[in-house]
Amino acid sequence: MNVFLAVLWKDLLTEWRSRDRAVAMLLFSLLVVVVFHFSLPGGATSKMETTAPGLLWIAYVFASILGFNRAFSMELENDALSGIALLPTDRGWVFLGKATANLVILGFVQTIIAAIFGLVFELALLPIAAPLALVVLLGSLGLCSVGTLFAAVAVRTRFREVMLPLLMLPLLIPVLLGAVRATSSLLATGELDFAAVQLLLVSDAIYLIISFIGFDYVLDE
Amino acid sequence: MRAPAIAASNLEKRFGRAVALRGIDFAIPDGTSLAVVGPNGAGKSTLLRLIAGLARPTAGTLQIGGDDSHRRATRGRIGYIGHATLLYPALTARENLIFAARCYGLPDPADRADALLADEGLAPVADRAAGGFSRGMAQRLAIARGLVHDPNVVLLDEPFTGLDRNAAERFTKRIEGMRRDGRTLVLVSHDVRFAAQVADAAIVLHDGRIAQAFFDAAPDASELEHAYLAAGEARQ
Repeated sequence: MNVFLAVLWKDLLTEWRSRDRAVAMLLFSLLVVVVFHFSLPGGATSKMETTAPGLLWIAYVFASILGFNRAFSMELENDALSGIALLPTDRGWVFLGKATANLVILGFVQTIIAAIFGLVFELALLPIAAPLALVVLLGSLGLCSVGTLFAAVAVRTRFREVMLPLLMLPLLIPVLLGAVRATSSLLATGELDFAAVQLLLVSDAIYLIISFIGFDYVLDE
Repeated sequence: MRAPAIAASNLEKRFGRAVALRGIDFAIPDGTSLAVVGPNGAGKSTLLRLIAGLARPTAGTLQIGGDDSHRRATRGRIGYIGHATLLYPALTARENLIFAARCYGLPDPADRADALLADEGLAPVADRAAGGFSRGMAQRLAIARGLVHDPNVVLLDEPFTGLDRNAAERFTKRIEGMRRDGRTLVLVSHDVRFAAQVADAAIVLHDGRIAQAFFDAAPDASELEHAYLAAGEARQ
């Protein structure tokens, strides 16, 4: 638990000082939203309820990949990753600390992007803000579990920027299915799709457990 | 009978097809300073990282105080000071040490950080970001970080890299202090004369094997240098 809190504190403090990760993620997601806005046929508002959830989650996933890569590249500087691997603790706590920091930073970016997305595509997100926040939180939990684990794997490879999406995207299919379906249902009816939420809960639980246990081996050379 | 501080038995490490270390056997008692020398690519850093528990052996065993080097509890007895500092540049010197102390579960991280900063003469710059430190200052902070949990085995991997003469002299005194404290030291260095000066035992690695070992008596500088040069020539 000490390690979890220490890693979380260190990652958030580092990000607060540099703000490079959040700014990069935010700018990238904004670009994605702008590109979608201008590339959709028939204007931004045509059939938006059906396409918006997919577009929103594409922006979130791409932003998160950028963030996960940066979260571990800072550990390579001065070989700080070895310092973490040396700790006499279950390395799963390191994973939880880094994944939670990723979740907080991603959550901050997601909130701003959702607001801009709602404005640009003329979607009424405010009335469904609370259930949408729950769906985004559950989807992001899965994203951050898989992303943090595979960012630690990819960071020691030669092509880590390419390797991370190749490793994590196939595994994110159940998370994305659940997240997009739940978001679609919220936008179309204002109601939560409980089957989709269940899918999210189950995928999150599986990925969290596997990542917690697997992180011990990931940090080995 | 007390278990050796470090004992390697038929130790082997491969990276894919490449063999980094093979047939490594040695045992040193508590309080020994072991120098590991050898030409580039001999396997010195790999051996150190195996002892630290950062890598798992492909074959053989490596024990620290009678326990597998890879066990969690064993990692807590080891301090690692490398040519890379393990520091976070965005954090201040004090924050870097508080982070390490928290990770090791020390009861009062801030007090421990302050004590170490005072020991290393870094108290006046405690609130400066580590990223702005000179190489010498960063290395002193790295030493404090490596000793934050008061380890009884300290691993030093080319710790003089990039240090100027004054910083190197100060660091030499620090290593001698660690020896007087009775810590077991493993020093990887290209500086054979310095290694001979601080070591009670030495091994010369060549091509992943022990080419020559000096365990019975403190190694003589010229003898160690001769063995080192012979290993280097054999490589060419």
